[in-house]
Amino acid sequence: MAGPASAVDHVLVTTSVHRLARHALAVLAVAALSVGCGADAPTSDAVPPPPPAAISTSAPVTTFPDTTTTPAASPLAEAVQPIGSALYEEPADPAPAPISLTIADLGVEAAPVVDVGVLDNGDMEIPGADEIGWYRFGPNPGENGTAVLAAHIAYNGRDGVFRNLTQLQPGDVVEVGFADGSTRRFAVTELAQYPKDQLPAERVFAREGSPELALITCGGSFNRSLRSYDDNVVAYAEPLD
Amino acid sequence: MRKFTAIVAAFAVASLMALPAFAQEDAARIHLIHGIPGVDVDVYAGGEAVFEGFAFGDTQDLSALAGATLEGLEVRVAGTEDVAIDAGDTALPASGNYTIIAHLAADGTPTLGVFENDTSSIAAGEGRLTVRHTAAAPAVDVLANGDVAFSNLSNPNEVAADLAAGTISAEVVPTGVTEPVVIGPADLPITEGASLIVYAVGSLDDGSITVLTESITGLGTAPASVDTGNSPVGLDPMIVVAALGAVLVAGYGTRRLATNRI
Repeated sequence: MAGPASAVDHVLVTTSVHRLARHALAVLAVAALSVGCGADAPTSDAVPPPPPAAISTSAPVTTFPDTTTTPAASPLAEAVQPIGSALYEEPADPAPAPISLTIADLGVEAAPVVDVGVLDNGDMEIPGADEIGWYRFGPNPGENGTAVLAAHIAYNGRDGVFRNLTQLQPGDVVEVGFADGSTRRFAVTELAQYPKDQLPAERVFAREGSPELALITCGGSFNRSLRSYDDNVVAYAEPLD
Repeated sequence: MRKFTAIVAAFAVASLMALPAFAQEDAARIHLIHGIPGVDVDVYAGGEAVFEGFAFGDTQDLSALAGATLEGLEVRVAGTEDVAIDAGDTALPASGNYTIIAHLAADGTPTLGVFENDTSSIAAGEGRLTVRHTAAAPAVDVLANGDVAFSNLSNPNEVAADLAAGTISAEVVPTGVTEPVVIGPADLPITEGASLIVYAVGSLDDGSITVLTESITGLGTAPASVDTGNSPVGLDPMIVVAALGAVLVAGYGTRRLATNRI
């Protein structure tokens, strides 16, 4: 229970100006570090960083704002950002779901795609040997983020629809069919194999970033006592059109 | 280019050294929502306008002011000097995730409420629903799909739960009865990995009671594992052995039957 909080400190408004300058510098410092290191690794912060509201967009900031001449209200007004309305809106209709997958190079022709979630134990739900599961909590194929399509390599003694996923080559075309009759084509960019406990969830289950497809199955050694494979095989693909 | 990088890097180091306190804090997220229907307002600090013409439902991001104290914070009726809320010197949190809402107290007095938002991670497959009573109304029950989900919620308190992702039909009724319906029914999207915060706002007496919503995304958890195979590819020796066994047993049974007949 969070009750109403109350004012605690008594600090002059000019302090907030210093505060602003410090924020601006800190944001710049972070930006500068990424430039210096050339780092572009994906991040998955739970809370988005505050918008660079306090940064002057006109010129690089190299000094603290002169607090003796800047009117107190001006930086305050510049620091706040309108971010739309909290008025209630009816939820929008979801985009048409994927319903079929064709990978000509593997002989997969319009294999049925069903939407799946998670099991009670937290694992991704996977349909039977002949179907592909689309993780419905992630993006639709072609939307921002990584759309996950997973299927068995083998299930209950039968080869699964992703039996030959490891044979995909960069450039191979994957076509997704949607419930509204539309289709979207993707080209394989990368084939990766990870020990199961090292599947890079921040990429495979990314909710943001450029549109990507992750076709997932199992691979590596089959552990007979666990009735499970050691690895996951992931084919990544990007939209062609 | 190298020179530019060096300058930038030097600047970055100097900046970080100058900011030991800030560097240890998480970035704050502070939103301010106008939750009083029917009146546009101006927000003043230190006698100066911070923003003007703030309408019901409008949201402002105050994150850049985290840790600052707004001296003499006032909410005035737009274009006038009528002070609707005199909040006095108001210290903003230095870190964390907060929503400040200008709303009506249970008795109808305009006030500022500060709520800390729960940004703890949410289990895969679930979304979080938080309901905050910030309306001039008595205690209420919140019904989800017809059943009481939260009971006896009073202003200015909140209730929350993590629910299976999906859409729920929500209604707000006076505590202990099922009608009259105060708010709703309204479809609320419980989005996986996101927190939906619903504010009951306005006044029951003048019929202006309604809801505002905000959403915090990126709290989700990926599935623990993707298990996409429970048998080896091609012929499974275990299944072959089992099948062979079945054939042998069947054959033996048949022989026994045949033997017994004789």
